[in-house]
Amino acid sequence: MATRVRPWRLGPAGSAGAEKLATGGAASAEGPGRPGPLQDETLGVASVPSRWRDAQGFRGETKSCQTASVATADAASQARKRADAEVQTEAPGPGVLPAPRHDSARLAAFLRRVEATVVRELNRNWRSHAFDGFSVNWTEPQCTVTCLHTLGYPPAQGQGLHVTSVSWNTTGSVVACAYGRLDDGDWSTLKSFVCAWNLDRRGLSPRQPSAVVEVPSAVMCLAFHPTQPSHVAGGLYSGEVLVWDLSRPEDPLLWCTGLTDDTHTDPVYQVVWLPEPQHSHHFRVLSVATDGKVLLWQGVGAGQLQLTEGFALVVQQLPRNTKLKKPPRGETEVGTTAVAFSSFDPSLFVLGTEGGFPLKCSLAAEEAALTRMPSSVPLRAPAQFTFSPHGGPVYSVSCSPFHRNLFLSAGTDGHVHLYSMLQAQPLTSLRLSPKYLFAVRWSPVRPLVFAAASGEGDVQLFDLQKSSQKPTVSIKQTQDGSPVYCLEFNRQQTQLLAAGDAQGTVKVWQLSSEFTEQGPRETEDLEQLAEEVAT
Amino acid sequence: MAEVEETLKRIQTHKGVIGTMVVNAEGIPIRTTLDNSTTVQYAGLLHQLTMKARSTVRDIDPQNDLTFLRIRSKKHEIMVAPDKEYLLIVIQNPCE
Repeated sequence: MATRVRPWRLGPAGSAGAEKLATGGAASAEGPGRPGPLQDETLGVASVPSRWRDAQGFRGETKSCQTASVATADAASQARKRADAEVQTEAPGPGVLPAPRHDSARLAAFLRRVEATVVRELNRNWRSHAFDGFSVNWTEPQCTVTCLHTLGYPPAQGQGLHVTSVSWNTTGSVVACAYGRLDDGDWSTLKSFVCAWNLDRRGLSPRQPSAVVEVPSAVMCLAFHPTQPSHVAGGLYSGEVLVWDLSRPEDPLLWCTGLTDDTHTDPVYQVVWLPEPQHSHHFRVLSVATDGKVLLWQGVGAGQLQLTEGFALVVQQLPRNTKLKKPPRGETEVGTTAVAFSSFDPSLFVLGTEGGFPLKCSLAAEEAALTRMPSSVPLRAPAQFTFSPHGGPVYSVSCSPFHRNLFLSAGTDGHVHLYSMLQAQPLTSLRLSPKYLFAVRWSPVRPLVFAAASGEGDVQLFDLQKSSQKPTVSIKQTQDGSPVYCLEFNRQQTQLLAAGDAQGTVKVWQLSSEFTEQGPRETEDLEQLAEEVAT
Repeated sequence: MAEVEETLKRIQTHKGVIGTMVVNAEGIPIRTTLDNSTTVQYAGLLHQLTMKARSTVRDIDPQNDLTFLRIRSKKHEIMVAPDKEYLLIVIQNPCE
């Protein structure tokens, strides 16, 4: 008999089914012919439906919802009134002291308390010799003058061009030089260059300037802008004045005068930047040329320099305090070759002329000039005083930054004259060289020191405190004796002096400490010198 | 009022004196014979220096106190007389 195990739950119906199965199985066992004890049988399949697990039907409903409609509206607006306004900041004015509240009785009591002590100390100071000859060294002293850099531009040197002018920029780190020729008497059509080297850059290459500008005519003078580190003005042999921006290598030309009726007809020998009287941070360019005109230019609009004021010098209008050889008739222009502005009075300037006599002039002069030169702006006669002449044209003048009346002039007679604005005769006259002198500059830090560039190839440094007859230091710039044409002190790094010569090189000299540090009483010594020599 | 002006004038006309000024305890100048910008500069800087000098003296010895401060430079000598409420600053050019 086979036993089969079927897993089902025995419910009431299940047990009935089980009985039926049991009897069914037994009935077949008692059928006709009793089967053997081990036999295969097939029984019917019994299925038991589940009661608890019903088919779950799905019941669904469909619903939808909609937001209420959104209200929209369109509107347009248009401004009907318009106004334009410009805003400009001005340089800050001088600070105003706030008015403090104080009790003057307590102030009087305080002063009474301290007056005796202070007066006693003042007296003692005046009589004391404790600090005589006592001086302190704060920096490492440098004893000699050394050449820091020798800069040149090979294409310009190859053409035989001379360095006609050098200029330091307002930050003191860039030196620019202008190439041209100073010995040509006639018009030339050579192309020349303006080159600038940035001395603070690490990769400084002496033969490769950091900025080069090609100019169609020889450049005679150069001046960097007093506040913009990359703007430089130059005057050309053709009489034009140009302003370049060295930070734009592809198109450096900012402004130019062009060749109009207003421009100079002779080479421009010096350009100077001047602050405008109303807006002290806008500048104008003053140019000086041998056609007798001194012109003030302003940059306007699209690259054009426009004439704002002009002066013309005519021999007939010069002040008669000095005897000068005058031509019998006609208006002869006085060729001007150099200009220097006084640092104490911004409208006062000194002009050096081809006739050898410096002139004291003022920007505020009103008298009209008797000249027939065409000009869009009325030309005025600026000369107020004539000084006694040198033996040849004056190529350079320089006003002292420490004394309001002193200035130097250097001429082709090899002499440097120290003038005071108050008298026509020079205070002293020094013979520095048998050849011409091309440039003279006061030192910006030491009141008694000046430097001169000579035609023999030296730069001579004079210290009036040590010796008023011979130079303290004479630096040989060129080996073959070709002249040094220009020199400039660096106002920011006061130990540097740049000088350019006829071989086309600019040498940057580092001066010894005695030239860069002011001694204790130099300003007073300068005043004393001015007074004692005058009498 | 007149006494204050007279005292300051007496000090100012002493031999070699370049400038005189009185500064209050906050460093604001009250009276001066120099121009505005120079005065403001001197007042601010010297006020700070005087406070520093005074604290130096008292740190070394708490019983001690600053009575007078003098700074000698190449060009001139600056003298400061300190007080609880005011500072008197005199700049003199001593003869050499």
